[in-house]
Amino acid sequence: MLRIVWVLWPSFLVAGIAEGIFFTVIDPQELYLFGEPVHVSQIATYSIGFIGFWAVCAASSLLTCFLQRTAAEINKGVGAAPPPAKPA
Amino acid sequence: MASASPSQAAERKPNFVEESLYEVHKKVHPRAVTGIFATWRWALVWFTQLVYYGLCWLPWNGRQAVLFDLVERKFYIFGMIFWPQDVIFLAILLIISAYSLFLFTAVGGRLWCGYACPQTVYTEIFTWIEQKIEGERNARIKLDAAPMSARKFWLRAAKYGSWGLLAFWTGFTFVGYFTPIKTLWGSVWSFTLGPWETFWMLFYGAFTYLFAGHMREQVCKHMCPYARFQGVMFDPDTLTITYDTERGEPRGARKKGVDPQSIGKGECVDCGICVQVCPTGIDIRDGLQYECIGCAACIDACDQVMEKMAYPKGLIRYSTEHAIEKHWGWKEIVGHIVRPRVIIYSTILAAICIAFVWGIATKATLRVDVIRDRATLAREVEGGLIENVYRLHVINVSEAPHRYAVSVSGLPGIDLVGDRIIEVPPAGNKSVTVQVRVPPESGRKGSNQIFFDVKSLADEKVAVHEKASFLQP
Repeated sequence: MLRIVWVLWPSFLVAGIAEGIFFTVIDPQELYLFGEPVHVSQIATYSIGFIGFWAVCAASSLLTCFLQRTAAEINKGVGAAPPPAKPA
Repeated sequence: MASASPSQAAERKPNFVEESLYEVHKKVHPRAVTGIFATWRWALVWFTQLVYYGLCWLPWNGRQAVLFDLVERKFYIFGMIFWPQDVIFLAILLIISAYSLFLFTAVGGRLWCGYACPQTVYTEIFTWIEQKIEGERNARIKLDAAPMSARKFWLRAAKYGSWGLLAFWTGFTFVGYFTPIKTLWGSVWSFTLGPWETFWMLFYGAFTYLFAGHMREQVCKHMCPYARFQGVMFDPDTLTITYDTERGEPRGARKKGVDPQSIGKGECVDCGICVQVCPTGIDIRDGLQYECIGCAACIDACDQVMEKMAYPKGLIRYSTEHAIEKHWGWKEIVGHIVRPRVIIYSTILAAICIAFVWGIATKATLRVDVIRDRATLAREVEGGLIENVYRLHVINVSEAPHRYAVSVSGLPGIDLVGDRIIEVPPAGNKSVTVQVRVPPESGRKGSNQIFFDVKSLADEKVAVHEKASFLQP
């Protein structure tokens, strides 16, 4: 549960900021998709843009989560015993 | 860290539990509380939500007073219209919000979290609905533990149904700030909502439902960035919800009206009500914790208990680290509000606010972009005159239609051919092409500076003096 939050939430916040900055500077009607002007409505462009930003940011958060795993978690008990966990 | 034995976990070590497992979260059933701070919190619930649910219905000059029109790329806020070029105001507004947050936090702790944050406000409303349907804290805990029955089913259905309706209304209102809400309302009933409008309505509604109904304090504990860094704005003179350990300890049960000193105890009767009312489920007597959202529910609760015990109120109260340590009264606490940190925050905040208001008040209602036609640099036309071509992009940022007169100056004998009067509708823009001609002997070879003047015929003060360059071959 907490992992889902870690992946989806920070990416949501950053996607919001990215969306705001990107579409303040760029008018969706000026965008081209594979060489063709974008035909969908502005609301659709904004929405797809946001979901796109979110997906990209979430992918980054996911990688961060993935790389955060400790050696012990990856080794699953093989090799040196993990140091005893310290209560905070 | 999965080695925590159940006995260890059962000990009250919130930090340890927090880190050791992903899902030890126990559902918090806050007990309802009344008192001065609860009243304040409800006042802010009413205020913020009347603004949120109501403002989008307010008309202004035949349009919606507050509308963020994404399709037209214009933001309407009462009499003002903001274009993408005005993004600086949004940036300043964000800086103002940030500094206000710094200032309030330095002085009064997490006032934002406790009273005004949407997460707190919606949790308050959703908990109120829950309490009305399922009953008080004990009834809710019992209902949670009970096996499914017809009664439980109906209570749950009523609760989730009411939450759902409110959440949907919240989502509808949210979209109503981006699409004119009256049109949107019609579309809902005629089933002609656009796919993306439907999507955002349900998206925002679903998140309101999830955050306020189910996740509640978890959002503050695990998702809120502010909760993590608010500590750096605290100093020993910051007002926080504080348990007076010296006065309260050693805690313990006793009969009503017993003098604490006579039984060798402090004034805390260890009733646990401060823990029961806490929306984040912490024990404030353990000291200031990052989970504390500063809602002051425990103050209200403890004051009622103190009153019943005939002890002075304020065993838990708004106080500062220094005040507790040095036994200060309110006079000294207030006296320490003015300190370098607060002065710096206030000065910066005041300066930015003045700049913001000044910027808004003197915001130009006319904008002109002059773009030289790059296809033809300069050419000779009839009469031996030299001509340059420009595109004028005239933006009328006001709410009234305007007729503008265009003139050109800067070189001897300069004149323009084409429309001298440009009509632009309210909050509209128009591009016109104009030819500027000068005699060949005018100016020097190469680039010459010229000026376009665009003036409103109705109001002389609405004028733009824009620089451009004229090429002489």
